[in-house]
Amino acid sequence: MPAGRRVLITGVSRFWGGHLAARLEAHPEVEEIVAVDTRGPSVELRRTDVVRADLRHSLVGKLLRSLNIDTVVHTALIVDPQRTSGRVVHETNVIGTMNLLAACAAADSPVRKLVVKTSTAVYGSEADDPSFWSEGMSRKAPARDGFTRDLDEVEAYVRDFSLRKPDVVVTELRFANVLGPVHDTPFTRLFDLPAIPTVIGFDPRLQLVHEEDAVRVLEHATLDDRPGTFNVAGDGIVLLSQAINMLGKRNLAVLPFIGASTAMFALNRVYPLNFPPHLVRLLQYGRVVDTSALKDRFGMTLSRSTAETLRDHVRERKAGDSAGPRKEYTHEADLEDYLRRKSGSSNGATHAVARAVATSSARSSANVTGAPVRSRRRSNGSRA
Amino acid sequence: MAMSATGTLALRLRELTGRDVLDLESLQELVSFAYRAAEVRAHHRQGRYDLDDFGFDREWTEVLLPIFRLIYKRYWRVEVSGVHVVPYTGPALLVSNHAGVLPFDGAMIRVAVFDATERHARALIASWFGGLPVLSWFLRRTGQTLGHPDDSSRLLESGELVLVFPEGVKGTGKPFGERYRLRRFGRGGFVELALRTGVPIIPVSVVGSEEIYPMLADIRPLAAMLGMPYFPVTPTWPLLGPLGLIPLPSKWRIRFHDPIPTDEYPTGAADDPSLVMKISDEVRDTIQAGLVDELMLRRTIFRG
Repeated sequence: MPAGRRVLITGVSRFWGGHLAARLEAHPEVEEIVAVDTRGPSVELRRTDVVRADLRHSLVGKLLRSLNIDTVVHTALIVDPQRTSGRVVHETNVIGTMNLLAACAAADSPVRKLVVKTSTAVYGSEADDPSFWSEGMSRKAPARDGFTRDLDEVEAYVRDFSLRKPDVVVTELRFANVLGPVHDTPFTRLFDLPAIPTVIGFDPRLQLVHEEDAVRVLEHATLDDRPGTFNVAGDGIVLLSQAINMLGKRNLAVLPFIGASTAMFALNRVYPLNFPPHLVRLLQYGRVVDTSALKDRFGMTLSRSTAETLRDHVRERKAGDSAGPRKEYTHEADLEDYLRRKSGSSNGATHAVARAVATSSARSSANVTGAPVRSRRRSNGSRA
Repeated sequence: MAMSATGTLALRLRELTGRDVLDLESLQELVSFAYRAAEVRAHHRQGRYDLDDFGFDREWTEVLLPIFRLIYKRYWRVEVSGVHVVPYTGPALLVSNHAGVLPFDGAMIRVAVFDATERHARALIASWFGGLPVLSWFLRRTGQTLGHPDDSSRLLESGELVLVFPEGVKGTGKPFGERYRLRRFGRGGFVELALRTGVPIIPVSVVGSEEIYPMLADIRPLAAMLGMPYFPVTPTWPLLGPLGLIPLPSKWRIRFHDPIPTDEYPTGAADDPSLVMKISDEVRDTIQAGLVDELMLRRTIFRG
């Protein structure tokens, strides 16, 4: 790929897109970073242009052409449908991907590379699963929940795309469950409980990937050409019981082995854990993927194994308890942002908009979306 | 402390009575089991598990081994022959007949192999077990894995001993009247596996497992309802309830046959069905002949 990469990132309001954009900003060879999302970014971004648009609109195509985007990183896939209705999840995951890929596959599309973030959940979780899933294998049982069904469709669209556009480098990254200090995942919520509900008589093998590693893999796939599908998970496994012991929590075997999802749903009424159904199956049968392709073909060794990821998390949580809540920081950032907007003259903001519009040269798309194109956005989320 | 105390006590009793009143060896094994179990529990509580990626906990399994060894030596009085053919290093595929409703034969073969070579044979189990509470994690934690072709070739490629029962549930679920008559050996998948990985096949004949739960009938509708491969009726089960789960103390004999090498065949031999079936039949005949020989050596079912 020539120097001066022009990258478009979807899903910047969530952990993945936001952190990837922040990392890409440090690379001088990345000339332009454009982030598309309906909400603001999850982290503080310096030179990323954030376009408030919806992937559901075919406007994305216009954006790609007018900004001459050569690399598209699709991280908008919602794996943890917390506070999001099932319909929105489906729209974002399936229809959003469909529109994005349709735009990328257009005849006059400048896109030469596509990186898609999916999940190892695509392998499902059943009693008769093989001990290790490699990228070429697929599950026997049909999808048992809407999320997995959506994931199948997303992967089918990506496969379709790579067949239709053989000259585009397509990298599909299937991530195992992410754990880390920043990203709020179902597993962090589960592990923060004083006693951890488990399925009676089952002790699954789990695999985790540290959030830093996850973003590093995405960054690597964006900067270098690594065509193919890759499982991304920390080395080794932990048993759920082992994880509970490492966390120093109590193992609360309350979920029946028949109808565990239903029981979890009932539990959710008592304590809003928001644990999605596809992960309840994981608590029963577990899932382990083969990561040799990531090491050999992708050429990347993750910094932390599954056990180390968990150990890090335990350490982080213990340190967090004594240091007090980490949210103060966000408030401070918000205050700073507010003060700058209020007193530091409004021409700062107009200047930012002007710059964004000028660099993007996408007046039409900005006008049509009717959304402000702004740079130097500050986080308005709850996380720093 | 407790170990030397029981040892002294057992010795005194022997001096006094001239007989082994307390079985010194078994006692010591039980005492050491209690100690090591506490040790491993402490490790587990700290999150320290001696795991491989299949979920096999070697430390924990070796703690449980004395229990199985006690059953092996005292209850079923297993007599082993030919175990020297099991290699100390490198992969091998152990192929055995399967019987006895519950897969105790796998456990006994594993004790025999461990005592001879200090290696753990990794048995492949029916995928049905993966859905059972407790057994699903117990079997995995003790080194078993599901009989998926990918699993077995991974184990062999990493140099493990793999134990397979090609008869599968057809073997364990056969009626008492058909004991020691081998069922079909699947579709020869184990031969394909051996040819592909070039590992030797070691046929194993197990006598004694057929009598531990003499299966008189199979209530098929109930089995279908419970999602089980069969619902056995034995003289004690389900008549005596949980007591019916206690296996009968038959006399066991295990014979390991000479390895059949598979690395001399050209590449692609695994895709030749006639060769696969030929080797499969050869293995089956060896095991069947071994069963007949061992049955001749065992004069009565329970006393041996």
